[in-house]
Amino acid sequence: MTRPTPDPTAPGGRTLVRLRDLGVRYGTSWALRDFDLDIDRGDIVAVIGPNGGGKSTLLKTILGLVPPSAGSVAFPAGPLRLGYVPQHLAYDTSFPLTVGEFLTVNHPGRSLWFGGTGRRQRNEITGTLERLAIAGLLGQTLGTLSGGQFQRVLVAAALLQQPDLLLLDEPSSSVDRRGSDDLRGILGELHRATSLAVLFVSHDLHFVSHLATKVCCLNQTCCAVGDPATVLNEHLLERTYGTAPYRWRSFEPAAAS
Amino acid sequence: MTLAEIWSYDFMRHALISAAILGPTCALLGVFVTLRGMAFFSDSLAHSAVTGVALGFLLQEKTGLGIDPMLVVLVFSVALASLMAWLFHRTSLRPDTVIAFSFTGSVALGVVIIAWLEQYRLLDGILFGSIYANGPGDILRQSILAVIVLGFLLLQMRPLTLSTLHPELARTRGIRTGLLNYIFAILIAATVVVSLRMLGALLLSALIVIPAAAAKLVSGSFAAMLLVSAAIGLVVPFAGVVASCQLDLPTGPTIVLANVAALILCYAGKLLVTRTQTEPQP
Repeated sequence: MTRPTPDPTAPGGRTLVRLRDLGVRYGTSWALRDFDLDIDRGDIVAVIGPNGGGKSTLLKTILGLVPPSAGSVAFPAGPLRLGYVPQHLAYDTSFPLTVGEFLTVNHPGRSLWFGGTGRRQRNEITGTLERLAIAGLLGQTLGTLSGGQFQRVLVAAALLQQPDLLLLDEPSSSVDRRGSDDLRGILGELHRATSLAVLFVSHDLHFVSHLATKVCCLNQTCCAVGDPATVLNEHLLERTYGTAPYRWRSFEPAAAS
Repeated sequence: MTLAEIWSYDFMRHALISAAILGPTCALLGVFVTLRGMAFFSDSLAHSAVTGVALGFLLQEKTGLGIDPMLVVLVFSVALASLMAWLFHRTSLRPDTVIAFSFTGSVALGVVIIAWLEQYRLLDGILFGSIYANGPGDILRQSILAVIVLGFLLLQMRPLTLSTLHPELARTRGIRTGLLNYIFAILIAATVVVSLRMLGALLLSALIVIPAAAAKLVSGSFAAMLLVSAAIGLVVPFAGVVASCQLDLPTGPTIVLANVAALILCYAGKLLVTRTQTEPQP
């Protein structure tokens, strides 16, 4: 007797997000069209492409912030918990919110007043900060943090949602090379420890090549999808970015990191 | 005059109780008003009360129905706040543009109605208020408002804080920011209307904005900002009422000047602490 092949789209299956013929229109112009992508458990999917290519729109559509104008966004494995790390947190830096308070208001647990946070919530917050090596920032206000520290705090806030899928918008854009490497290390370690699925958009091909297990080239529509070694070549990058041959020669496989 | 003597007069006692209720309520709401950049929103609602009062008087005079003018002011201000919140949310108009035309348009309409009714004396009461005109009915209204505002802040502290910091992030956490903004705008309108008798339309936003601004200067956390703002909101209007009585000064402006003094003190304190911390050690 042969065992039936598990259906990856069944509830509890491998596929977390299934995008089919997805289109998003702002007014009369399409930001995204005819887009297909599957995000499976354990995937680290990078979306690359030029400015205005629909990368952030794709994230916002999955997050439910922007409704699709065509096609579908399905969650075959059932409703997902999503953790989102925005690109820029444009906020009043004189807002005296401490890291602890910021994480408390981000915590999905309920409490009338954040002064009355329960012990379990407090432990989860300190545990997440320790995991990201920023436990010392708990009492610091957000406005005093460096770009790299702030980025980690945003990742911590997303992780508190206990996400099935972590979505990051340009995670390496506001940090220097060292900060970018640190963040890549953290995400890689999280992925190894928890098989967390990750979807991020980025212009930083070094970051992409060292972290992603799957790369999607997006310029309003999907130009190519595959593993980094296949997709990150001059021909496909030129097709995606629509410019003269892209000087990209420093590809190293993710396993090297 | 001693505090006991002041307390022995009904009108003074009512004024002090009103100050103790409305001061912290406005100050706590003011924390979110200032952080959301809505100081002029509350100011424009206070000024638009001119129209609400004029409409209330018009209805009372012309229909003889005995409608409470304050109820008309409340309905008008809530409707205007909802309209402005809708315009912020649904159009590409900048908030300061929406506030500018709502503010000037509603005040102009109010003045036209007052001129038509030839009731210019109404303007004096609306613009400067009269805290000593407070009666037990006003205190009851103010207490109900305080319970509603504090209850809302307590129950919605987390969503309100996150949506104040970053609305998009708040939406990804499942917070209905649009609904929250509407409720918040309506609460500001209700607070403005109920507090109108205390300071009047011209000075009222001081009660909302200044305690929060002063607290922000000296607070190292959001919880501290809320507590310091509420403390300033409780102590300063109370002190303002007593000082105006002792020095025979107009009460509303004295409360505002006491708030400004608190702001200056907080700023001076912050400067002093910063200078002490940055001074080179011998």
